[in-house]
Amino acid sequence: MMFNFLEKYYPLFLQGTAQTIIISLIGIAFGILLGFIVVMMRMSRLKVLSGIARVYIAIVRGTPAMIQVMLIYYTLAQFLDIPSIQFLGSTLDRVIPGSIALGINSGAYTAEIFRSGIISIPVGQTEAGISLGLSEQTTMKSIILPQAVRNILPALGNEFISLIKESSVLFYIGVQEVTAQALGIGGTLYNYVPPLIVAAVIYFILTFLLSQLMEFIEKKMGAKYAHIN
Amino acid sequence: MENIIEVKNLRKAYGENVVLEDISFTVGRSEKVVLVGPSGGGKSTLLRCLNRLEDDYSGSVLFEGASVSGAAKEELRKLRQKMGVVFQQFNLFPNMSVLENIMFAPVKLKIDNQIDAKKHGLELLDQVGLAEKADAYPQSLSGGQQQRVAIARALAMRPEVMLFDEPTSALDPEMVGEVLSVMEKLAKEGMTMIIVTHEMSFARDVADKVMFMDKGRIADVGTSEYIFHESTNPRTKEFLAKVMA
Ligand SMILES: Nc1ncnc2c1ncn2[C@@H]1O[C@H](COP(=O)(O)OP(=O)(O)O)[C@@H](O)[C@H]1O
Ligand SMILES: [Mg+2]
Repeated sequence: MMFNFLEKYYPLFLQGTAQTIIISLIGIAFGILLGFIVVMMRMSRLKVLSGIARVYIAIVRGTPAMIQVMLIYYTLAQFLDIPSIQFLGSTLDRVIPGSIALGINSGAYTAEIFRSGIISIPVGQTEAGISLGLSEQTTMKSIILPQAVRNILPALGNEFISLIKESSVLFYIGVQEVTAQALGIGGTLYNYVPPLIVAAVIYFILTFLLSQLMEFIEKKMGAKYAHIN
Repeated sequence: MENIIEVKNLRKAYGENVVLEDISFTVGRSEKVVLVGPSGGGKSTLLRCLNRLEDDYSGSVLFEGASVSGAAKEELRKLRQKMGVVFQQFNLFPNMSVLENIMFAPVKLKIDNQIDAKKHGLELLDQVGLAEKADAYPQSLSGGQQQRVAIARALAMRPEVMLFDEPTSALDPEMVGEVLSVMEKLAKEGMTMIIVTHEMSFARDVADKVMFMDKGRIADVGTSEYIFHESTNPRTKEFLAKVMA
């Protein structure tokens, strides 16, 4: 039987799955936070801020995620003194910089998603806000962003899904996520195909569940804007 | 009559394109000024200069003696609070209910506390004939209803003057009347109003002063009697002949 090895190796897959989920969650959280800061810089009237934001976005989008991850890992390793505590088959001094690297990568994409959401809101909304005497910040926070977030939920969902899949690049810095586990098991078995199929199924289940969750959230948020369409 | 608004030598250009030139006029308390004229003549731009939605113009705009054109950020926000604006596209906030649309700014800006703002909001909704829509969301309302909510929202700030930029132009014809009648009521109550409109019979009935704007200038100005019946200005006559046809 092709998948008999699972009997022996399923704990490693479970561990790898947990690792993948954790690095993805940290990456997403960090990416959203960073994306929010970057979009505010990007849309700022201060040329320096918007310039920095543009450069960051361009670099992240224009270089391979694998190189970004390695560069960030080796750089952070020099400056941050993270203890090498065991964590789900890897060590924290790999998992933490790795997750941050995922977030730095994702932040550029979420910033662009946020931006598309913000500019999709008609300028009349801002004008109505400031004509009432509200500050630009209040108008942004209470009027524009709530509408923008609702518009970009599908795009954000897609970004989360691709982040889960791309989290496999942390394999290169020795984080034992699902792909790394599958490759390790494949090496032991002298056969990579079955464990890689298992890994693919696991990714598929994770992304499928996430897309169902996003659909649910979209419906819930839509209910507040009753009568739309 | 005490002047609420004084505009002096206003000039506005987009690059090479001069869209307002040599604009000077005053608006007295309780006065109704109606701006008419062909599309592209600068009416919206002028209205938007008054509360500085449009910036970078020369000349001066005074509101109750205070300079709008020269105001710093904070001061400008205070001045804007006293100038209600009603847009062609309503611009209600779709993420808030009707009542929340109306209460949001007065509460946020501490004009009213939550309780008073709600009471005032419901009163205003009653005045525009939409008391039963307080909890509805804007998307569920017709255009005419949305515009009446937008008027109530602007009034909730207890403004000294109301600016209207073609408030009925985006409406289906059968809804124009309900919005105009709310505006008429407001006019009767003594609100100071500056109105851009193509509704000529409304303009004639309500206006104390009609300004005919063409190619960025006030081409003709006078009482509604003068503009609609007496003016010999060829451009005024040509425009009126076109729109009244
Ligand atoms: N943001 C803008 N950039 C460049 N030109 C503009 C802008 N807004 C308005 N204009 C120009 O200014 C002129 C006056 O426009 P507007 O004030 O909208 O006229 P009206 O409201 O009388 O139709 C038009 O020629 C228009 O093309
Ligand atoms: Mg206009």
